[in-house]
Amino acid sequence: MSPPEAGATVEDPGEPSAAEPSARERILESACQLVASDGIDDVRIARVATRAGVSTALVHHYFSTREDLLTDALLHSFQLAAEERFGEDPAERVERATERLARAIRTSLPEPGESEREWVLWVELWLRAVRDPSLQPVAAALYERYRSWLAEVIQAGIESGEFEPVDPGAVADHAMAILDGLGLRALLRDPNMDLARARRTIAGLLGPELGVDPADLLR
Amino acid sequence: MSPRPQVDHIRKPQILSAAVEVIAERGVESTRIADVAEAAATSPAGVLYWFESRDKLLAAALTFAEDSFYAQLGDRLAELNNPRDRFVALIDSAIGGQDWVLWIELWTRSLRDPDLARARQRLDDRWRAEIKAILLAGVASGDFEVVDTERVTLELAALIDGLAVQTAMGDELVSPPIMREICLDVAERVLGTTLDPAVRGIAA
Repeated sequence: MSPPEAGATVEDPGEPSAAEPSARERILESACQLVASDGIDDVRIARVATRAGVSTALVHHYFSTREDLLTDALLHSFQLAAEERFGEDPAERVERATERLARAIRTSLPEPGESEREWVLWVELWLRAVRDPSLQPVAAALYERYRSWLAEVIQAGIESGEFEPVDPGAVADHAMAILDGLGLRALLRDPNMDLARARRTIAGLLGPELGVDPADLLR
Repeated sequence: MSPRPQVDHIRKPQILSAAVEVIAERGVESTRIADVAEAAATSPAGVLYWFESRDKLLAAALTFAEDSFYAQLGDRLAELNNPRDRFVALIDSAIGGQDWVLWIELWTRSLRDPDLARARQRLDDRWRAEIKAILLAGVASGDFEVVDTERVTLELAALIDGLAVQTAMGDELVSPPIMREICLDVAERVLGTTLDPAVRGIAA
């Protein structure tokens, strides 16, 4: 383990890791935290630097502009989340497809805490990607990764006989879009849509489509 | 002697129309009152006379854009006389709508601003009422089989929102025609009907 950089404080990275996070990772992580707490427009390099325990000069060393930092922070956050969610070893998969799908639904919605924080960043990414063509390929790739993962879970359910022989890609499309739409409403504290209702609504839509009892998608 | 701002000559719609364009192009955060003023051929004071902040301007701009959207939608629906065609026209209007960028701005800023969250709620209530009216007419006429119109309205509104984000991002896998296909697929399922294949553009 390398010694901390001069002037840097050793901060708890927040999750167990084999090696101490690099300065660049700490900067990205700090930026993500400040985006979620202050809103992307209010994030200042100086505050990111302080939080990461580095100098502003070091931040500028890694990120030429504030916009570069913010963009990379968003992408960093999603790539980490994707690895965690989609990177499971097929050999370790013991759950039935129905349970995996139920869990996918639950973890895809903005549950309080880390999940909600990630959702705020997701919405901020939408806002930037609709206007900045350079972000669009990455955003599309993130969606595609998610879509493939959902389709794979659905395919597994078809093969195991849990689900009817639907088109996995088509159902994944429906699921993704409605998860985004309902998740957004729950995040916005829409009086018509809280998390519990969002889960029931999605289960009520996907259940019949897959030929399973919606209650099985609520576990 | 400084010139008096000519506020009495500038109508609100001109400013709102300019605001819609400028915000859609630059984003709220990069929009200065001066930019909107220039686009509206007035002074910053002229804009501030009507709208005391950028966020209020965003809410008003989207409301203005939506008014225009509903006016056009109304014209379109008036030409159709059955709930199935009207429903498809509603979907087509949503997909072809130009307001999505403004909606996404409003969603994002609503996360932190209660006034904007309320504005979003009002605008969403209006949209859902539009969807629900067509569903209820379809249920009354026997075209649609819907037990819970409130729930189906929310499902459809959420589906459209989710798809619109991907389309607005230029995701090739959710182009406008694909968005249409997905919307109509899900709609057929939740409305308990088939939508005219000729209208859907697939070979019967």
